[in-house]
Amino acid sequence: MLAISRNQKLLQSGEENQVLELLIHRDGEFQELMKLALNQGKIHHEMQVLEKEVEKRDSDIQQLQKQLKEAEQILATAVYQAKEKLKSIEKARKGAISSEEIIKYAHRISASNAVCAPLTWVPGDPRRPYPTDLEMRSGLLGQMNNPSTNGVNGHLPGDALAAGRLPDVLAPQYPWQASDMAMSMLPPNHSHDFLLEPPGHNKENEDDVEVMSTDSSSSSSDSD
Amino acid sequence: MILLSSLLDDAGNRLRFQLELEFVQCLANPNYLNFLAQRGYFKDKAFVNYLKYLLYWKEPEYAKYLKYPQCLHMLELLQYEHFRKELVNAQCAKFIDEQQILHWQHYSRKRMRLQQALAEQQQQNNTSGK
Repeated sequence: MLAISRNQKLLQSGEENQVLELLIHRDGEFQELMKLALNQGKIHHEMQVLEKEVEKRDSDIQQLQKQLKEAEQILATAVYQAKEKLKSIEKARKGAISSEEIIKYAHRISASNAVCAPLTWVPGDPRRPYPTDLEMRSGLLGQMNNPSTNGVNGHLPGDALAAGRLPDVLAPQYPWQASDMAMSMLPPNHSHDFLLEPPGHNKENEDDVEVMSTDSSSSSSDSD
Repeated sequence: MILLSSLLDDAGNRLRFQLELEFVQCLANPNYLNFLAQRGYFKDKAFVNYLKYLLYWKEPEYAKYLKYPQCLHMLELLQYEHFRKELVNAQCAKFIDEQQILHWQHYSRKRMRLQQALAEQQQQNNTSGK
């Protein structure tokens, strides 16, 4: 037993040194690792702080973005409404008519019972809110087709209305046909062919119209 | 005799103005429209283009010469083919005629009702005054 223990002691002293060195070595490594861990911990802590900062800035930016968006919407609405207002102002200015003219016109159309029935109207009264047969025939249009004027078939299809049977009425009797004011008015210019396709106004095709006139000359124009 | 060549000069234009004024107002007469429809005028392309051309009467400087402003509404309706086709029926024309006359009487009826109401009120005041 002594022999073994001596061997063990011998072994141990040799080994002890080794182990001790190893231990010291390990301890040194351990110390270093500890330092490293400490540093890493500090860095990690800093990282966390920075991340928090970043989050805060992110949320600030988002907030700003939201506000800008709202502002943009409000401004867009305001601009749109302003444009609409401008449009309606322009429209109103375009359509501006003196109140005097409107009143005059209102008088004209009401006085003749054109838009409002006469107070004594009963069914059976021949007056109507539109020009009646008789009025139409005794107007300029009606006269144009009067055969006594040597049969010029008028250049308007409406002449077909009274072809062939017309009273010999002279000047317009009804104020809706022409008035002194109207004498100086001119219709919009157009070259005369309506047979061609628009755009632009086209010429009336006089030949076609004549054909139409003769077609209608047969039947009566009583349309009631 | 109305010379075709005279259409080109001023007097001709004035005449054309009067004629178109008359014609556009004739369009307010539903019976006349029925007449035109039955004779196939509405199928003629040239006539349809003419109706479109007549829309210039909507401008205020021309509209002020219209005695029967209802014609403008009819003119607008006539721009639609469906309406032109419907007008061939006499019942359609009759219906439009009736509605037009009823509308025409609207203000007089309103006025009569107002007068009646006033008269009743006066009666009430008299009886309560006594």
